[in-house]
Amino acid sequence: MSSVIKNPRNGCALHGALQTVQEIKGVVPVVHANAGCGVINYLANSNASGGNSKFSGYSIPGTAAQERHVIFGGASRLREQIKNTIKVVSGDLYVILNSCESAMVGDDVDAMTREIVEQGEPVVDTLVAGFNGGTHFGYEHVLADIFKSIDQVKHAEDAKNPKLVNVFGIIPGKDPYWQGNLDEIQRIFEGFGLEANLIFGANGDAADLSNAKNAAISIVFSRWGELPAKVLNEKYDIPVLLRPSLPVGVEDIKDLAKALIGKLDLEEDKIQSFIEKEESYERNLLYRVRDEIIENGLSKKAIIVGDEEQAVRIGRFLKNQVGVEIVGTILTDALKKDEEHETDNEEILKSFSNNVYKSVDQKEINDIIRGSRPEVIFGSSLEKEIANKLDIPLVETSYPVFNKLIIGKSNAGVRGLVSIIEDYFTVVREFEYERKLEIQKSLKNLNKEIWYEKGDGYGRVKSNKGLYIRKQELGISNG
Amino acid sequence: MAEKIGKHIAIYGKGGIGKSTTTSNISAALAEAGYRVIQIGCDPKSDSTNTLRGNNYLPTVLDSLREGNKIHLDDISVKGFGGVLCIESGGPVPGVGCAGRGINAAVNLLQELNLFEEFKPDYVLYDVLGDVVCGGFAVPIRDGITDRAYVVSSSDFMALYAANNLFKAINKYAPTGGAKLGGVIANSMKPGYHREIVEDFVAKTGTSIAGYVNRSIDVQQSELYGKTVIEAKPNSAQADIYRNLAKYIAENENLVVPNPLGSSELRDWARSWGDRIYDIENGVVGVAEAI
Repeated sequence: MSSVIKNPRNGCALHGALQTVQEIKGVVPVVHANAGCGVINYLANSNASGGNSKFSGYSIPGTAAQERHVIFGGASRLREQIKNTIKVVSGDLYVILNSCESAMVGDDVDAMTREIVEQGEPVVDTLVAGFNGGTHFGYEHVLADIFKSIDQVKHAEDAKNPKLVNVFGIIPGKDPYWQGNLDEIQRIFEGFGLEANLIFGANGDAADLSNAKNAAISIVFSRWGELPAKVLNEKYDIPVLLRPSLPVGVEDIKDLAKALIGKLDLEEDKIQSFIEKEESYERNLLYRVRDEIIENGLSKKAIIVGDEEQAVRIGRFLKNQVGVEIVGTILTDALKKDEEHETDNEEILKSFSNNVYKSVDQKEINDIIRGSRPEVIFGSSLEKEIANKLDIPLVETSYPVFNKLIIGKSNAGVRGLVSIIEDYFTVVREFEYERKLEIQKSLKNLNKEIWYEKGDGYGRVKSNKGLYIRKQELGISNG
Repeated sequence: MAEKIGKHIAIYGKGGIGKSTTTSNISAALAEAGYRVIQIGCDPKSDSTNTLRGNNYLPTVLDSLREGNKIHLDDISVKGFGGVLCIESGGPVPGVGCAGRGINAAVNLLQELNLFEEFKPDYVLYDVLGDVVCGGFAVPIRDGITDRAYVVSSSDFMALYAANNLFKAINKYAPTGGAKLGGVIANSMKPGYHREIVEDFVAKTGTSIAGYVNRSIDVQQSELYGKTVIEAKPNSAQADIYRNLAKYIAENENLVVPNPLGSSELRDWARSWGDRIYDIENGVVGVAEAI
């Protein structure tokens, strides 16, 4: 039975594939779709945090297919577009992205790609159409398709690197902190004496795609990284390590190290000394805010809204280290009914969250939040409305995040742990401050003479409206 | 929507069943009777109107659309026998693009060009590839294009299967203002049980026979001359068959929403006829007994 979905936060598979390849330096996307498919993604994301990469929005090469390309087929238009793109835009790899209409018409995109490859150009394609799935589906399939054919079009020397680790499962844009998180993962792997094959962002590039075959292992930080890792496993026998989420804090980093020992040639002393340093850093910073955590009442009842990996990452940390009670977790991954993944976080989710829900419908999400009676929301900007209605603070941790610039900040690793604490603390303090200002403003309108001078024994005074207000909030000292 | 000018009739049928021949002869017969007629071929093969225009070249609507230039009615239409205005929607080369969308685009374009206001037809016949494989091929029977459809079928199972598919499409679109069925044109009728098969099929689906067209050498011969029977052999019995059929179609107002058979129902029905035909062919029973 179909139903209305309010504010769906996931795009289509084309959008997922597009925002994936856009964030790989040296990769030029060529979108075979009608004008608008690429721009819609841009408009959706440019409102949110994170900025835009070199090829985004109006600068994405595309066929801008029209009705005649539907009727008569758009393959020759695509051929023309690929050739023109190669002429005017220099790139290390050109990735042809398919669309709903070209898939429905049955354009032979593969043949066009082969034709250009035969001329010596580095071109790969994906036949994923928009309607095949959501953003997450687009990410995993475009990467899988690239790995299936990149060695023929952009060959890298076969030289196994026992220290090289492929990093999968972090979807650029879908995790608002993706760039910072990649940086942090790179820092952690370097601490382990390993090299991270990041592919995306400031420290990755198209060469990482070609070089992925030389890695010693593929580490998959969310279910959406399984497919590309599986392709590399089948083609190049690279082992796969599935993780429930990115690590947050030293405990998670220790856990990650433990999972790697035995699988890779590691210098355990080096790892030990790295972990000790991280531990000292984390302990030092957390120690500084020990009183603030208690005084500001950060051990609240919270609800988390976001993709599974982000929810697991943040939820476990909040419960175990900040004493937050997670009354509910709402997973927003664009899941299909027949989705097959090995990653199974059900037990982990249950271990930190009283209830677990799956929804991308804002109305349903709001209803769940309302019914869960949380004191704070960890979610996206789309939860601002319900947070305002319930008069509780919102910590923005998942996509989309509007009105906040996040380009290098992390919320994974030890640095991420610190930033989550900072953000949570700041949001709660600001919220309390705003509340105090509001109360003070409304008190000015009250007839002060009718005030009960006597408190209620709990540090509160009662106004003529029957409203109990904490003395602290009024700035009245005890006595 | 503006009032429709003329009666708009869609004629469907499985590929190769004779729907273009039948449609062209109906157009020719109507034109001969003094009506203004337009015949629009809605088939990527674009050979619907060949016999009306002596196989002369006619650019298709979609060919013109592909060029991207401004299109005039004169560029895509030509007057054939009896002044029948011939138009071919055309389509992509086989195996490429989307022919269904092509039909849709062509029909839309003809409306935009004010074809009917300009020509003021009494009858407009749409000759449509009849397997109704996708929404595009159902465009002529959707709201606002035609209000009646006929299907050309022989007694072959696959032809009746295609007819049944059309019935399904009519069944779907009729409640929202789509065309209804005028009847089945029983084509390629040979002596024996062929009529009975088609008659049984129409009885089962709550439809009727618009006319019988026997197999005839006159049809084949006229086709080879690049003409309709009406033009090539106006005095033949076959020409009269088409004239009667045209008269029936022109006047018939008994339009129905058919009850298509389900897949297994159709299969069972076909199987029962398989048994009966076997008995007839092997002389176990006579035609009358078998029926």
